[in-house]
Amino acid sequence: MDPLTLFTLQTLNALSLSALLFFISLGLTLIFGIMRVVNFAHGALFMLGAYVGVATQTASGSFLLSLIAAPLAAAVLGLAFERCALSRLYAREHSAFLLVTFGLALALTEAIRLIWGADARQAELPDSLSGIVFVMDEPFPIYRLLLIGAGLACALLCWAGLQRTRLGLLLRAASQNPTMTAALGNDVGRVRAAVFAMACALAALGGALAAPLLSASLGLGSNVIIDAFVIVMIGGMGSFLGTAAGSLLVGFAQTFGNYYAPELALGMTYALMIAVLVVRPGGLFGRVE
Amino acid sequence: MTQRIARRPLAALLAAPALVGVGTARAQGQPLKIGVPTAMTGTWAALGSQVVRSCRLWQKAMNAEGGLLGRPIEFLFEDTQGTPANCLRKAQEMVERDRVNILLGLMASSEALAVMPKLAEWNALFISSVNGAGSITAESWVPNAFRANTSGPMGARALALWLRNSPQTDFFSLSLDYSWGRSSVETFEGLLRGIGKRSIGNVFAPVGTRDYSSFITRVRQANPQALYIALTGDDGTAFLRQAAQYRLFERMPVVTETVDMLFTRPAGEAAIGLVGGSRYSFAYDIPANNTFVSRFRAEYNDLPDTYDGEQWQACEVLAAAIRKAGSTETPQVVAALRDLELNSIKGPLKIRACDGQAEQQGFVVRVARREGFPYPVPDVISTFTAAEVTPACRASNFT
Repeated sequence: MDPLTLFTLQTLNALSLSALLFFISLGLTLIFGIMRVVNFAHGALFMLGAYVGVATQTASGSFLLSLIAAPLAAAVLGLAFERCALSRLYAREHSAFLLVTFGLALALTEAIRLIWGADARQAELPDSLSGIVFVMDEPFPIYRLLLIGAGLACALLCWAGLQRTRLGLLLRAASQNPTMTAALGNDVGRVRAAVFAMACALAALGGALAAPLLSASLGLGSNVIIDAFVIVMIGGMGSFLGTAAGSLLVGFAQTFGNYYAPELALGMTYALMIAVLVVRPGGLFGRVE
Repeated sequence: MTQRIARRPLAALLAAPALVGVGTARAQGQPLKIGVPTAMTGTWAALGSQVVRSCRLWQKAMNAEGGLLGRPIEFLFEDTQGTPANCLRKAQEMVERDRVNILLGLMASSEALAVMPKLAEWNALFISSVNGAGSITAESWVPNAFRANTSGPMGARALALWLRNSPQTDFFSLSLDYSWGRSSVETFEGLLRGIGKRSIGNVFAPVGTRDYSSFITRVRQANPQALYIALTGDDGTAFLRQAAQYRLFERMPVVTETVDMLFTRPAGEAAIGLVGGSRYSFAYDIPANNTFVSRFRAEYNDLPDTYDGEQWQACEVLAAAIRKAGSTETPQVVAALRDLELNSIKGPLKIRACDGQAEQQGFVVRVARREGFPYPVPDVISTFTAAEVTPACRASNFT
């Protein structure tokens, strides 16, 4: 394999990983930006997405259906959780959110263990997606290209939604000044509920998309949430652009790190975060709170 | 002040026999508590659940027969999340709070290595059912520790004996970056030299790696004739699935130290053709094993996997030692374990006195489609005697 082929393959690998990381960190940053809540349950929701996705595909045989069922289930759960628990806590301190979302993460993990058991679950990719394409004479899975496309589509859609629609305007307004937004006759409570549900759906969609690569297993949530936090810190809490940049940076750092210095790859992600925070304490695109 | 300090040991010495006497008298008919500090969450959660369910099945079977020496068995399970610090703390709590003197089911070798130096101080004993690191019965060996399971070097040895006749000569290794993985690769590379083959490189993936694409690229870049992997649990599954997606198996055969259904089953069709050593498989056609498998299937409606079998074997070793000792006290059971012989689910087994390793047969299996099973399962392709696969006393490798 010549250096150019190696670089191209690794870039594609990094982009597909970045896409997966983007799904989970985007929701995390949305929730923080608009609700000022650090959602510890986000990893568990990603894992829930993987399990619901696999279960749906096993039952129906349709991978596409699993990509609809997983976010839907997480959105319903997220909505219920926001209405029943979080909405009662907005007047309280941040520590209340940490505890209650951490509690949700534990409860969700246990629920998954009770429903699906401790063993990993998986479903095979449909034939149309399990093929390969040759990139400079080296085989590359079509499914990873699809992940890159999905990540890109999600980023563009969310960006357009935030910048070009009335709902996006409302979200940005609620993020910058919730009191003023409410005073102008908008129901900020509903905006928060909608954002939370949407963010949960995004995490679960990421989980369902990750299932064919990783299979649905109990460690999935705790594993991915740390990367997501790092990304959000690098990009700047609450920044959409920052999350996209952070996902790419972490995806590339891990992929290339794993190739050249696997012993240091984990540390590299944190070193990247520390370096960014030293230079810009609010993250790349964030502001110091 | 000096006097008071000096008096204490004397008082303790005088009190000790009285306390032991009371303890022994009370022990009759009291439950025999066995501590199992194992990984119930985290990377090894699924392996931990095998340990727990086999312990429960064994407890049920034993208690139905009236227990051990007339005492019912009671397991105390604690979650260590697979980290040595947690494991040490939980084990210490069990010993000090619950008066446990027998520890089973420790998950990571690093956990076992953290607990072993404390055994003498705790007056406790430990029988490994999972821990593969060679050092446990070599440089880190302690007299109160025993290994009922097939170690990493033993699994690798069986595989190397099988590979002797393969056409491939250049191997590359991919393993998890912790004590078992490193020990496994080191042993395998040593074994390769012994059979006239060579290692052209290795790479270690951090535990918990989800995306193996970089490692797959690294393997392809190295372009070996065959790949050796030492991966377990979710890591192993993730690798097999992704390697199949990159069509890696079409380029080179993949062999592994230990074939676990835990990671081959979720890998589905991607696992077919994987050859490896086997620490335990339901597929061993041994009468004691067939009995165990049907008992297990009746209880859990599932096939026993590697650590189900290994844990069961460790429990059987403990039971045999306690019966032989006629006691559950640490020194007596430790003495009985030395040179203990029994017929286990893996055939004849002997705990050798010099380092506590159980000498047992070595198996090589290949994952294949078999009639009557909904997913690809291991099939025994070769069996080696204990003498062929067990390293010399207190040695972690074969010279």
